[in-house]
Amino acid sequence: MTAIPQPGAGEPRRPNISSASIQLPAVTTYEQVDNEIIDTLKPTKKWFMALLLAITCLAIGAGSWTYQIHEGLGVAGYNPPVMWGVYIITFVFWVGIGHAGTLISAILYLFRAGFRTTIYRAAEAMTVFAVMTAGLFPIIHIGRPWKFFWLLPYPNWRLLWPQFKSPLVWDVFAILTYLTISTTFLFIGLIPDIAVLRDREKNPTKKAILSALSFGWRNSEAEWRHFVRAYLFLAAFSTPLVLSVHSVVSFDFAMALTPGWHTTIFPPYFVAGAIFSGFAMVWTIIIPIRKWWKLEHYVTLNHLDATAKMVLFTSLVVGLAYMIEFFIAWYGGVEAEQAYFWNRVFGQWWWAAWIMLTCNMILPLSLFSQKLRRNPSWLWILSIFINIGMWFERFVIVVPSLSHEFEPWQWSGYMPTWVDYGILLGSFGWFFMWFLLFIRQLPVFALSEIKEIVPPRMKHGHSHTGGH
Amino acid sequence: MKQGMLGAFRELDATCLAIEELKKKKVGEVTVFTPTPRHEIEHAMKSPMSKVRQFTLIGALSGCVFGYWIAIWTSEYWPLVVGGKAISTWIPYTIFGFEVMVLVGGLSTVAGFFILSRIPRLTMTVGYDPRFSHGDYGVWVKCAPEQLKTAEEILRRNGAVEVRGEG
Repeated sequence: MTAIPQPGAGEPRRPNISSASIQLPAVTTYEQVDNEIIDTLKPTKKWFMALLLAITCLAIGAGSWTYQIHEGLGVAGYNPPVMWGVYIITFVFWVGIGHAGTLISAILYLFRAGFRTTIYRAAEAMTVFAVMTAGLFPIIHIGRPWKFFWLLPYPNWRLLWPQFKSPLVWDVFAILTYLTISTTFLFIGLIPDIAVLRDREKNPTKKAILSALSFGWRNSEAEWRHFVRAYLFLAAFSTPLVLSVHSVVSFDFAMALTPGWHTTIFPPYFVAGAIFSGFAMVWTIIIPIRKWWKLEHYVTLNHLDATAKMVLFTSLVVGLAYMIEFFIAWYGGVEAEQAYFWNRVFGQWWWAAWIMLTCNMILPLSLFSQKLRRNPSWLWILSIFINIGMWFERFVIVVPSLSHEFEPWQWSGYMPTWVDYGILLGSFGWFFMWFLLFIRQLPVFALSEIKEIVPPRMKHGHSHTGGH
Repeated sequence: MKQGMLGAFRELDATCLAIEELKKKKVGEVTVFTPTPRHEIEHAMKSPMSKVRQFTLIGALSGCVFGYWIAIWTSEYWPLVVGGKAISTWIPYTIFGFEVMVLVGGLSTVAGFFILSRIPRLTMTVGYDPRFSHGDYGVWVKCAPEQLKTAEEILRRNGAVEVRGEG
């Protein structure tokens, strides 16, 4: 096996990475790509410990949910009129996390942004598992999960169909479409890589499974030609889809006549926030992976720098949206709206609002420093703050609005119970359990796409990198 | 009886030269295996554009029509006035038109990819070698017995590290 080169060796101190074609100077052959990335499939002690932790969290969540089903929704801390709480907050949080995956894999693909190549597989897998996690929360929230199928478009016994004018039904369609397309996108991209695993596998049972999963893929030119075209169209579909899904999620709020919610800024505000939080979760995942498996020469500092610029940009967009919300409340002159925003930042919910503002607006400003953008440890710490901040953003949207509507006699408080916290913890366990199982079975970096940016062996001359 | 000749190459340009010569001399039917898509091979093969887009277009249009239709038809089937709005309201129903367009369009793209690539394939056909997914390029020439010698010569002359008859 080729010796693992040191990260960042030979990289200039202040490189210009504005070009989309970010290369991997320390990766020189296709064989090196296969050998080093497939090495990540070997189980390690850290992997087992992480899996054990994830399953423990999941067990706590499952126990809490079982208790809630037995006892009823009353144990969940709802306090009328605050009848949306941790479950809807966490639903929006996970849908948001799921957005960066498709942004990286589809939108950055269409824009030919080279820095996506090494991180998109992890981001795509993250998307699928995040949407799977998000999808659980409306079911948990309704209290009687066995009635969930009422939302699906089929008629009841009186031939009455779901109300297609309801944002909740839009949400069902949007999330199911997103889950289906992002899973398909992930799996299609995996087919050539599974074929690589199949061809290296010695164990006949595993070889048979990998053969079935790779659909007999042979790497022929004709297969690649159709693959590339299909991938392009899936990316083209996913691009408006990713923007539409979080817009539709924002309609769950914006269609209601509730202070703080009934505003046209919500769709772009939600989409920017989703990309922001999704990129943070990509850091949370990819930075340990590159360190633990010594893959710093694949996810280079240039790549992290480029993603940091995306995070900085989306942080500024989100910050601007926060400011515009205040401006509109003041400029609109609606007393209930003004009182709500005052209460949100300087009143009852000041602590949540300031956690949000600090984590999402103030700390990401550090990314104006190139030195910090190229510091993986800082990026990882920042990603945790952003994840916390974005969860609190959804808390600040959901709870203060419902607890401070038009009529003062309705004003109330809200405090999550241990059941809420248990299920929240369980959602992280569920997400990371799937992710850890994924990276143990399938390549977390895309073998075939990384090979595209590695210069091919030539007998006579040079070739452009980038196959298609 | 051999069905054809398989050549394994280490270098991309050597592979392309072999393909071009085989095509020029019209020696059999050429299939190329490559670990990653390369435009150089596509140019050498002079392959037509993939027809996946036709599946995408048909799927997307069908999905869009179905999305609008299910929302409109179910509303008209049992009319319920909500907030004084029309029974069939175009703006919210565009969400269904769009979502189902993406869903059916995406899935039909995948179906097109499978059909055109002729996968799932239950068995590996002749002319494949596991090294072609790893780092080498393969050129499989399916030809008549009298052309086997010519195919072998072309593959060797252009730098194939291994040439073998298969079938």
